[in-house]
Amino acid sequence: MNYDLIIIGSGPAGYVAAIRAGQTGLKTLIIDKKYIGGMCLNWGCIPTKSLMESGKVFRQVKQAAEYGVKGIDPEKLEFDWNTAISRTHGIVSKLSRGIEYLWKKNGVEYLKAEAKILSATQVKAGNAIYEAPNILIATGSRIIPQKLFASSVEIEDIYEMPCTALKPLIYGRGSYAIELAQFFAMIDKRPSILAESLPLMPSLDSHLESFLKRKLKKDGIPIIPLEEASIKSGNLYHKDKEIEYDVVINAGFREAVLPPMDIDLEIKNGYIATDDSFETSVKGIYAAGDVNGKGYLAHAASAQAMEVIAAIHGKLPEDGKRLIPLNIYTDPEIAQIGITEDALKAQGAEYEVKQISLNSNGKAIIEGDTEGFIRLIYEPKYHEVLGVQIVAANATDLISEAGVLMELEGTTFDLARTIHAHPTVSEIYMDAGVE
Amino acid sequence: MRYIFKFPDIGEGLEEGKIIEWYVQKGQAIASGDPLVKMETDKVVTDIPSPKAGVIAITYGGIGDIVKVGSPLVEIDIEGVDGVAAQVVAAEVPAPPSTEAVDEKGFGVVGTIEVAGDGAYLPAGDEGISAAPAPTPRKKALATPVARAMAKDYGVDINLIPGSGPAGRVMKRDIERHADSVRLKEAAAPVAHEVPADTRDDYRYEALSTIRKTIAKNMLRSKQNAAHMSVMDEVEVSELVAARTRLNAVLAKEDIRLSYLPFIIKAVARALKNHPVLNAELDLDNERIIYKNRINLGIAMDAEDGLVVPVIRDADTKSLVQIAQELKSLIDKAQTRQLSLSDLKGGTFSITSFGSIGGYFAVPVINYPQVGIFGIGRLTEKPIVKDKQIVIGQMLPISMSVDHRIVDGGEVTRFLNEVLSYLKDPLLLLAFEGVNHEL
Repeated sequence: MNYDLIIIGSGPAGYVAAIRAGQTGLKTLIIDKKYIGGMCLNWGCIPTKSLMESGKVFRQVKQAAEYGVKGIDPEKLEFDWNTAISRTHGIVSKLSRGIEYLWKKNGVEYLKAEAKILSATQVKAGNAIYEAPNILIATGSRIIPQKLFASSVEIEDIYEMPCTALKPLIYGRGSYAIELAQFFAMIDKRPSILAESLPLMPSLDSHLESFLKRKLKKDGIPIIPLEEASIKSGNLYHKDKEIEYDVVINAGFREAVLPPMDIDLEIKNGYIATDDSFETSVKGIYAAGDVNGKGYLAHAASAQAMEVIAAIHGKLPEDGKRLIPLNIYTDPEIAQIGITEDALKAQGAEYEVKQISLNSNGKAIIEGDTEGFIRLIYEPKYHEVLGVQIVAANATDLISEAGVLMELEGTTFDLARTIHAHPTVSEIYMDAGVE
Repeated sequence: MRYIFKFPDIGEGLEEGKIIEWYVQKGQAIASGDPLVKMETDKVVTDIPSPKAGVIAITYGGIGDIVKVGSPLVEIDIEGVDGVAAQVVAAEVPAPPSTEAVDEKGFGVVGTIEVAGDGAYLPAGDEGISAAPAPTPRKKALATPVARAMAKDYGVDINLIPGSGPAGRVMKRDIERHADSVRLKEAAAPVAHEVPADTRDDYRYEALSTIRKTIAKNMLRSKQNAAHMSVMDEVEVSELVAARTRLNAVLAKEDIRLSYLPFIIKAVARALKNHPVLNAELDLDNERIIYKNRINLGIAMDAEDGLVVPVIRDADTKSLVQIAQELKSLIDKAQTRQLSLSDLKGGTFSITSFGSIGGYFAVPVINYPQVGIFGIGRLTEKPIVKDKQIVIGQMLPISMSVDHRIVDGGEVTRFLNEVLSYLKDPLLLLAFEGVNHEL
C-alpha cells in the first residue's frame, strides 16, 4: 500500500502534520499504537488543565461570599475527584473526535497499531507493510520510570486513580509537576514536590522562577531538592524532617520514544538527530516533536510538524528562529516568550526591563486576581521588545499579544501607541510600553 | 540577489577610467539605464549607465580614483530575487583599483552573486538599455517597526530593500545585511594614490591624464600592429573654393557656414563606397577581412585634453549641410568634454585636418584597427601651370596612411584619385547623390 507520507505517532506533531499533509494533497497514513492525540491530549496538556480548572472553580466557590453569592458554606465544600475525572475524559474524548473528524475530512487514513520502520520507505504495522517516500516519526517522549520509590503513579494512570491522593508526593520538575502540585493544594490536599533538579522550570527566567517558588511556598507546598532528601525504608526525609506522602506521582525526566526500526538513524543523546527541516540522517525520514529533543512543548511540536510538511513540498526552512511561548497553568498563570534576562546577561547584551504590577489594573482588581505583573525586556536603542514575561490569572492568553508584537519586531512604542480597551488586564501592555 | 557590475570594456582599447562624479549612492534605487557614474574614459567624460535595475549596495572608488576595466564599479541588489541568496562578500575584497594588477577572480563569495562577465561590453548606443522595462517601485514597504527605525538611522530608503520576512516584509536582519555590505564596502574603499610633485628644478613631473594614456596606448598599438604606408599628393581646388563661397552665400540666411571639411567627408565617403577594402578591418585571428557596410567617418579633433575622434555616421548618406551641422555639434561637445561614448564609437575610417592648424604634409597614424586615415594639410595659394600659363592655384595637400597588410598601393592610389577628383570638381559629388536630401 502506497502513500505520500506515513506518520508514526498522533500527538501534537503527528496529528497536525497529518491534517496539514491532507490539506496540501499528500496521501497520508497516520499510525498510533494507543490514543489519538498522544500524551498532550490524553494525559498531558489537556487533562491537567481540566483538573486545574476544577481546582480553580473549587477555590473560587469558596470565595463566593466575597462576591455577594450567599448560601455556600466553604466548610461543606467537597471536591469530587471522580466527577472531575469524568469531565476530563469528556473533554479528551470530544477533542479526540475532533481530530479524527479533521483527518477524515482531509483524507488522512488512521491505523491503530504499533509501527516498525523497515527501510527508508517502508513501515510495517499489524501484518501489513506500507510504503511512502516520506516518513515522519512523531513518537514523542515518555517519563523515565523512577527508581527511588517502590511504587509510583505514572502520569498515564493519574486519571485512573479511584480517588484523590491526600498527600501526594510529586517527583520531578517542570510545568507538569508544578501544576499537579498546585492542583492538589487548591483542593485542600497537602502535596509536596521532590525536585529532581533545580530550577523547577528549566528555561524560565530566574525572575519568574523565584516568583514561582515564592508562590508555591505561600500555597504551602514544600519543595524538596533531591540532594537534600533521603529515603529510608520508604520514608522520605528532608534533611531530618520526615515528609509525609501517600502516593508518589512520577513527573520526572523524560526520554524519547523511539519506534522500532531496522534502519540506522543518527541518534544524539537519545534523541533522533534532525536538521533545520527536521529531516533525519536518512533522507525522506523526518522527526518532529519531543522525539527530536528540540523541546518539550506541544505547540513547538505542531509548529515543527507544519515545517516538515512544508519541507516535503520543497520549501526551505524559514529564516530566523521561531518564537515559542512557554506557559505554566498555575494560579496565577505564568507565561514567557522571547529571550530571558539571564540569557541577555550571559550575552553581555544591553537591555532594559520594565515591570508593571497588576495591583492597579482595574479588571484584575474586579476579578480579584491582582497577583501578578508584566515584564518587558527590550533593547535600549530602538526599544525592540526582546522578551515578555507575564504573571496573571490569564497570562497564558495574554502572552499571545507579545508573540504577535515580537514576530513583527515591535517596540515598546508600538505597545504604548496601541489603544487597549478599558478595563482589561491587557492594559498592562500599554502601561508597560509608555515611557 | 547581488549583481556586481564591473567597469565595462567599451571596446575602444580603454583600460581604465577616472571617477569624476557619482550619480548614485548606497541604498539608492536605480532603473536599468540610469547613469551610475561620470567617468573620464579614454577620450571623453561620459556617463556609465546601469545594466540592471535594483538597489545600489556598494559603490567602488571615490572621486578622482582610477578604475580599471574589469574592476567592480558597483554592486546592485536586484529586487524580487530569492532573499536567501547570500550577500556576503567574504574576506577577499578587490584590490584598490589604482594598483596595477586587478585580480578579477579575487571575489570569495558565498551564495549566488551574479558577476558581469570579464568580457562585459557596454553598448555604444543606449538603445538596448532604455528598452529594458523600468521596475515598479514598491509604494510602501511592508516592514517591521525596528527595521524602519534602523533604516532611518542608516539613511537607507527601506522601500528599496528586499524583505526576507513573510510576504516580503523587511525585517531587522535585512537592514543588518544591508549595513554589513556597506561596511564591507567602506573597508574596501580604495585609497587615492597621489603622485607627489617633484620639486627638482630640472624636471617637472605630471601624472598622465587618462586621455593621454589612452592616446599613447592606441598610437603604439597602431604602429605596432598595422603596416603603415603613406601616400601624399596635392589637388587644385579652385572650383571647390568657389563652390563653397557660393553655397555659403546662400546658406548664410540659414546661419549655416560650410567649411571644407564637409566636402572632404563627402568625397571620402563616396570613394570608400567604391573601394570597400579601405572601409574594412583585418581579422587575422580568423583569417578574414571584415567589410563594414556602414561608412562612419571618425574626425580627429584637437580638444583641450588631447585628441578625440568623434564619428559622423553614415556619412555617405548625408548632405553637406547635415554633415556641417553634425560637425559643429561634435566640435562643441569636444571642446566642453561633453562627447558621449556613442559619439566616439564605431568609426570605420578617419579623417584628420591637421592643416587647419598648420603644416602641409604629415604621416598620420592609422586609427587602428581601421584601414586608413585621410589627412588634409593647409590650403595654400601656389603658382601652378594651367594651360601652359603660370596661374595662382588653390592647392590642398593630402597625406594618407593605410594598412598595407590589407590594401596595396594600386588600390590606395585609385581611391585617392577618386577622392581628389571630387575635390577638384565638387559637382561630381552631386552626380552621385542618391538618397540625399537638400540643397
